[in-house]
Amino acid sequence: MSERTTALVIDDEKQIRKLLRIVLEEEHYRVFESENGKQGLSDAAQRRPDVILLDLGLPDLDGVAVLKRLREWSQVPVLILSVRDGPEDKIIALDAGADDYVTKPFGSGELLARLRAIQRRAGEANEEPSFRAGSLQIDFNARAVTVKGCAVKLTATEYALLKILAQHAGKVVTHKQLLREVWGPNAEEQSQYLRVYMTHLRKKIDTSEKGEKLLRTESGIGYRFVIPAKENQEKV
Amino acid sequence: MVTASQDSDVVHAQEHPSERDMNRRWIRSASIVNEFFLAGLFILAFTGAAWLVEPFTGYQTVALLYLLLVVLVGLKLSRGPVLTVAATSAALWNFLFVPPHFTFYVQKFHDGTMFVVFIAVALAMGHLTSRLRRSEMIERQRERRTAALYALAQQAAFATDLDTGLRAAVNLIESIFAAKAALLVRQKNHTLSTMPHAASSVDLSEGEKTVAAWVFSRRVPAGKFTETFPEAEALHLPLQGRTTIMGVLSIWPPAATTFDHVERDLLQAFAVLIGLVLEKDHIIEAFKHAEILEASEHLRRALLQSVSHELKTPLSAVQTGIDALARQTAGSEKSHRTFREVQVAVRRLHRVINNLLNMTRIESGVIKPKLDWSEVGELIEAAIELAGESVGEHRILVDADPTLPMAKLDQPLLEQCLCNLLLNSAANSPPGTKIIIRAQLMNDQLILSVIDEGKGIRKEESMHIFEMFFRGTDASPGGTGLGLAIVDGFVHAHGGSVRAANRDTGGAEFVITIPVQTVRPELMETPLE
Repeated sequence: MSERTTALVIDDEKQIRKLLRIVLEEEHYRVFESENGKQGLSDAAQRRPDVILLDLGLPDLDGVAVLKRLREWSQVPVLILSVRDGPEDKIIALDAGADDYVTKPFGSGELLARLRAIQRRAGEANEEPSFRAGSLQIDFNARAVTVKGCAVKLTATEYALLKILAQHAGKVVTHKQLLREVWGPNAEEQSQYLRVYMTHLRKKIDTSEKGEKLLRTESGIGYRFVIPAKENQEKV
Repeated sequence: MVTASQDSDVVHAQEHPSERDMNRRWIRSASIVNEFFLAGLFILAFTGAAWLVEPFTGYQTVALLYLLLVVLVGLKLSRGPVLTVAATSAALWNFLFVPPHFTFYVQKFHDGTMFVVFIAVALAMGHLTSRLRRSEMIERQRERRTAALYALAQQAAFATDLDTGLRAAVNLIESIFAAKAALLVRQKNHTLSTMPHAASSVDLSEGEKTVAAWVFSRRVPAGKFTETFPEAEALHLPLQGRTTIMGVLSIWPPAATTFDHVERDLLQAFAVLIGLVLEKDHIIEAFKHAEILEASEHLRRALLQSVSHELKTPLSAVQTGIDALARQTAGSEKSHRTFREVQVAVRRLHRVINNLLNMTRIESGVIKPKLDWSEVGELIEAAIELAGESVGEHRILVDADPTLPMAKLDQPLLEQCLCNLLLNSAANSPPGTKIIIRAQLMNDQLILSVIDEGKGIRKEESMHIFEMFFRGTDASPGGTGLGLAIVDGFVHAHGGSVRAANRDTGGAEFVITIPVQTVRPELMETPLE
């Protein structure tokens, strides 16, 4: 690690920018700030940050518009920070290419965990042959899943769902995205199938020790594969 | 403009062999007799004149004069009499003027030829002229009809306001048909008004109103001259718009007159036009209303968004700042406790702000449930997670059949409801006691109950418990009195209801009931695999 990770904060509130700088610098990020959408876009192009924290309510351009323009040329991980807490707002931002969404006010622990999750995803590029979280182990080559060392039999659909969620571990995956990737683009509205298979999948892999749920519901939005807190710290 | 259904209505009205049809037949036969009589007179007069002229012009010119007669008669009379005149003229010419006189015998060959040509020309002439007249008559009727419709369209459809337009329409009907007319218009609640529109020139008797109501519900003409209620005094026509019926037009024909086919057709067309005018007005009204609603809703959303931004941004700064401070001073037990207290306060403030914003959303009616398939068990777990640490040291038990079918509902909305009920129960029952969440599905109703072991609800307060800012006398300190009001608002927005009751065994029970669409999971086991 010769270079420090760089983060770009695009937010019109000076106070929020200052505080985010404090929190992020403590975690050894190098922080850049932009106070509006246009400046944010040009800073993103010049500074080439490793991660972007984007507010939705910007004075010049709407955050979603900034995101869409950014996504035309860059795949940099973007975390949305917004006071808008309705599921519709979150879905719009996620569909526009955001990697995750945190509503204000937020705890800095949660913020840092989400940042790590979206960066890990960008860094690993799905090339790991296996995945481990808590007592769950997935061998992508053998298409084999074990929980606490015991093999679990999954149907093709259940495996496909689990694989997508695990590859995006720590990050929310929208209903639409799951439906599209598992069932194809015509199934985007068929959310009842998704519910049924997620219920089955959970019964098989969530060993249901209290508070140890791997597949979390983000209601009205999608699902999140939650990496148990301890490992999350270790992996950084 | 007159649609097929209206044509059939006309036919249906005509098939009825009423007194008026008999009248019409009589009138028609009377006029035909008149015409034959006239034709006879013409022939007599003309023959007399020809008798006087013949010595000077010769009998062949008389044939030409007879042809002139046929043409003239053709301009005035109808087909039968004209053809009769043609035939009679030929016979008379032959009998009276062609030598030898007073016989039908023809001596010269060219007289014979002339006779045959005469008959042919006279018949053709008679036929042609009468046809010409007939089509001219139809043309004139059509023109009258077009003019009337044009006048109606001009005066009614393009009138600046509806009342003026309807008044013009009634006046026009009255002047064209010499009849009295009344309009019953559809009201805002989609029922027929019982008071005639102000433009009407007469009031309806109770009996006529009944017929009008029948017309409104069946959308076919009734009353006088029709099969349905022919004993009525007025003819009632539906005012049919493009999509829906807009009212009823009632016409009282003047005594002892009847409407012929053309007139009734015209009335039908009038009814259609008035129906369209009413519908146009209705659509414009609805459009304006929707525009105003949309504008005010937009404003409310903008206001809510900006208020929410202004409240949450500083709160966010406080939270992040406290977190940062807590990390910097880690290790000191005393400062750790202090930060924890501040964090709890921030969380509480956050909840209060959310409650206030949610209440504002409910009050301004911007909440529109977004239904999607959800698993009830998942919903309950998410609600428990949402309530989080604030539930304190209570034991939460879930009593729900794991095979419950999936239901179509707005999960985030109902999560918030369940969470608020949980927090309410937790605040109003001693730590360590149980809180049970029960879910049942019955007759497409999802019933969610939250049951606690607290003191229950005071009888005199049970009426007000869901009111905004209401705080029970025994309520634990803290809380804004909004939690239950929000539950009530959200559940109502979802088309359901919530009630609170005390249990015989002590403690309170809150029950949410919402109508839902369900699918049993087994039914969907294999669909896309």
